[in-house]
Amino acid sequence: MHELSLVQSLLDIIEEYRDGGKFRKVNTVRLSFGRLGGIEPAALRFAFDVASRGMPAEGAALEFDILPVIVSCLDCGRDSTVDGFTSQCPLCGGDVLVTGGNEELRFLEMDVD
Amino acid sequence: MTTVQVVKDILDANERIARENRRLFDEKNIYVFNLMSSPGAGKTTLVERTIEALRDRFRMAVIEGDIQDTCDADRVARHGIPVVQINTGGACHIDGNMVRDALPALDLDNVDLLICENVGNLVCPAEFRIGENVKIMLLSTPEGSDKPAKYPLMFQESAALILNKIDLLPYVDFDMAKARKDALTLNPKLEIFPVSCKTGEGFDAWARWIERQVEEFRKS
Repeated sequence: MHELSLVQSLLDIIEEYRDGGKFRKVNTVRLSFGRLGGIEPAALRFAFDVASRGMPAEGAALEFDILPVIVSCLDCGRDSTVDGFTSQCPLCGGDVLVTGGNEELRFLEMDVD
Repeated sequence: MTTVQVVKDILDANERIARENRRLFDEKNIYVFNLMSSPGAGKTTLVERTIEALRDRFRMAVIEGDIQDTCDADRVARHGIPVVQINTGGACHIDGNMVRDALPALDLDNVDLLICENVGNLVCPAEFRIGENVKIMLLSTPEGSDKPAKYPLMFQESAALILNKIDLLPYVDFDMAKARKDALTLNPKLEIFPVSCKTGEGFDAWARWIERQVEEFRKS
């Protein structure tokens, strides 16, 4: 449900960059977030479609760079990229710390006309 | 077609407000914790017990965040502590702006410790800073020990994890060792306190810890 708050902030940033009329239409919005960050792309897309109606961003495509979960092994010292949360090193079975994958939602760039 | 580079955190606007709140709290020397859990894990009971444990040590105030109703605020008010209810009206978390709007209702010159009880939810509250010193997370044993694996962000963002309802351990399948291990995998600095807010078991360790945090903050 927080997707609507995120989309509102996203639309505010777009308006800030448009600055009254620097572009007419947003074609693509590129975003990134960590896989463990609690962001649901489908929910975000739905919220974006609803909230952007009548705005230059209406109809824009959302593209996501989803950053992987990285675990660092406390035993063998190696880093691994994994699909989701794990407390075990996929290489040696040792205990790990999660060191990547919780990055917050970030607005990278947009294509505009 | 032109590409516009943005590279901006979506929650920048909230971060700015949270930082303003923080500046105000620093000026008034107020320690703030943001209490998060799923609905029914025992946040309000923890708040009530914490008030009773520390009421002779600190001047406290509470901000209660709920989607609607004031029953939590009413419970806290019975302890004779200033309390403000935020009704988010549907939003699944409290954010910097809502807390800022609630602050004029409190006499901040007479508060040492401000407790913000977030909306019951294991996902969204972790993302929105409100100007707190720390986030505290509560997980109750009937919810299951798989929660760190399923809701990692909240465990990563918190300074302390209170494992509540340990009085129910004989009746529920809660793997304490797994919960601890998974939580520490996500956040090795996490302080973990197994407690029962109902019987009071283990509560003292939490109360002493938060008391120390507030004292250290107010000395600095």
